[in-house]
Amino acid sequence: MGGPRGTEKAELPLTALRDGESGIITSVGEGHGGGHGRGGGWGFKKRLMNMGLTPGTRVTVVKSAPFHGPLEVSVRGSRLALGRGMAERVFVELTK
Amino acid sequence: MTEKKLTIALAGNANVGKSVIFNQLTGLHQHIGNWPGKTVEKAEGTLHFKGYTIDIVDLPGIYSLSTFSIEELVSREYIAVERPDLVINIVDASVLERNLFFTLQLMELETPMVMALNQIDMAEKKGIRIDYKKLQKILGIPVVPTVAIKGTGVYELLERSVEIIEKGEINPPMIKYGEEVEERIREITKLIEKIPFRYPSRWAAIKLLEGDEQVEKEIREIGPEILPTAERLAKEIEGIHGHSCSTIITSERYEAVGKIAREVQQIVPKIRPPVSETLHTLTTHKILGYPIMVLVVLAMFQSIFTFGNYASELLSNLLYGWEPLFGGLLGTGIVKELVWGGVVEGIIAGVTVALPYIAPFYFILYLLEDSGYLSRIAFLMDTLMHKIGLHGKAFIPVMLGYGCNVPACLGCRIMETERERLLAAFVTTLIPCAARTVIILGLVGAFVGIQWALALYIIDLLVIFLLGRLAFKALPGEPTALIMEMSDYRFPHLKTVGKQTWFRLEEFIKISFPLIIVGSLMIKLMEILNLLGPIANILSPITVTWLGLPAITGITLIFGVLRKELTLIMLATLLGTTDFARVLTPLQMIVFTLVAMLYVPCVATIAALVKEFGWKKALFISVFEIIFAIFVGGITLRLLILTKV
Repeated sequence: MGGPRGTEKAELPLTALRDGESGIITSVGEGHGGGHGRGGGWGFKKRLMNMGLTPGTRVTVVKSAPFHGPLEVSVRGSRLALGRGMAERVFVELTK
Repeated sequence: MTEKKLTIALAGNANVGKSVIFNQLTGLHQHIGNWPGKTVEKAEGTLHFKGYTIDIVDLPGIYSLSTFSIEELVSREYIAVERPDLVINIVDASVLERNLFFTLQLMELETPMVMALNQIDMAEKKGIRIDYKKLQKILGIPVVPTVAIKGTGVYELLERSVEIIEKGEINPPMIKYGEEVEERIREITKLIEKIPFRYPSRWAAIKLLEGDEQVEKEIREIGPEILPTAERLAKEIEGIHGHSCSTIITSERYEAVGKIAREVQQIVPKIRPPVSETLHTLTTHKILGYPIMVLVVLAMFQSIFTFGNYASELLSNLLYGWEPLFGGLLGTGIVKELVWGGVVEGIIAGVTVALPYIAPFYFILYLLEDSGYLSRIAFLMDTLMHKIGLHGKAFIPVMLGYGCNVPACLGCRIMETERERLLAAFVTTLIPCAARTVIILGLVGAFVGIQWALALYIIDLLVIFLLGRLAFKALPGEPTALIMEMSDYRFPHLKTVGKQTWFRLEEFIKISFPLIIVGSLMIKLMEILNLLGPIANILSPITVTWLGLPAITGITLIFGVLRKELTLIMLATLLGTTDFARVLTPLQMIVFTLVAMLYVPCVATIAALVKEFGWKKALFISVFEIIFAIFVGGITLRLLILTKV
């Protein structure tokens, strides 16, 4: 896709959000080795889920650390640090 | 019933004040060991209450009850298999939703439970009010509000716990999933009920649908015919929802949790953000965060070394003062040499390092951890650590390594996977610890120039970077990205911090002292038997031919395995002078220091590696580092000669 930003219902990776922006999680990628939640990505995805990043949840990017560092996100009333590798696989729909 | 013994387990997410409650409950009657066969710590304590002797088991802090890390596995196995009389679930009131997620999973393990709703004061400060009576009613378990750090509610917590145990088994209502999921859970539950499985059947059924590897493995051994059915049913659910089965179950759990949280909590946003919030913003700031971190770390090392140098001198003066006493007792023969020079000096060496440096080191570190600052450092350093295939949390053991490699190796436990623990431990053994700093500054810094000492540090960082990257590529497996909670800053509980320091110190002593003593004894024996000269000669192809050093340095490098700073002291003894410029060329000093800096840290670190990773890996790392150090030393020598510096 050319420029997903700005369009109303585009799916964006969490890393595309600017500081202070929020989105509703649409899906969480499988990571490497995919499979139906049973492959190599199992631990990774499960971990994100267990931290509360489930589809339908609202998540806010508070800020990101410099030099392509991790994101600070706010989800379900808790504050999480998410490495880029994790955040890239969380897809959201931008909300106002 | 003559002896009324009870066992209560404490379970909860990380950073909810669990260890504070543990300390409030058990006071001084506690001990720390390891879970059988695991590197996970097991803290136990005893208390007496209303005629009962109660054993309190502090389960490791976790995020959920799925097998992602060893901590989680240990906890759920304990609850389901050892069946404590009761589980106290400790919950951080200021992050209720995330914590309740864990509560619901605990309930699925079908254990009697009481909830400690902790840190209610902090929640209030954030503007969060929780109707705990309503929560109690919804969950069907007693909920006791507590402020552990002040001891508030701890007595009542115990009272309610004993009450629940006396009343006998209560089965808290479990959450219900969507009917299409429930139906399939029931189907699998029926199958599991027919086999002698050690976990509750319904729980196991849910775990099978979630694709839990550990449960699958155990079921395969006793009822392999269940697995295809479970897989088929999971596929059916996936077909209905279009998400993976584990996603659906987790989502539904969170949905249930969200509903409860909305019902019981009232959030009134504060006009002025609490101090902890401001602190968080500052310490994770894009620009300001880094200078603050540098200042904090420098202040930490500065205070440790100032205190350490002072206390160490005081202690060694005191302890070495006993030598005449020993002389009087044992005479001046071989026995005295061995007992004093081998055993006692070994102990003194250990004591003068452990107490003055390691103890304050741990204390400050736990202070920083308990307050919440370490997770901010991990946040800031994540990018850098990724260059060597680790994430931000690995910076904590690395930082520890500059003080002493032993706690650093043990500190690698915070990493999530075995692979990362090993990788992080390997990197930390290359960090110049305080003892190596003594050599770098005392030899190169003092006699060649401070810029050369600095160059050595930079070389060391390059080496760490290169080897770290190599190891990261060589070790099978994938890197894990950072995911951690940054809980609110809070005032650390000094007693808990002190206790943690003490337990760590005890562990350090247990690991390092025996080896330091045996090592000192062996070297003393070699000295008495006049073996040092021949050994120096055997080593001379390496020391003289390859490294261009005097033959005698071979012996000092062997001594260095015991304690690195001994290398310098030995060098002075063997060369007969502390004016190293008279006996060594600047080039020799640089090469010598470089080798001393890079080869295996010391015997205590090797012991720590053995404890954490087993003999094979420890031996491999040690041998590799020795060969590598010698190799780099020789190359550097030739390079420096070539460039005629």
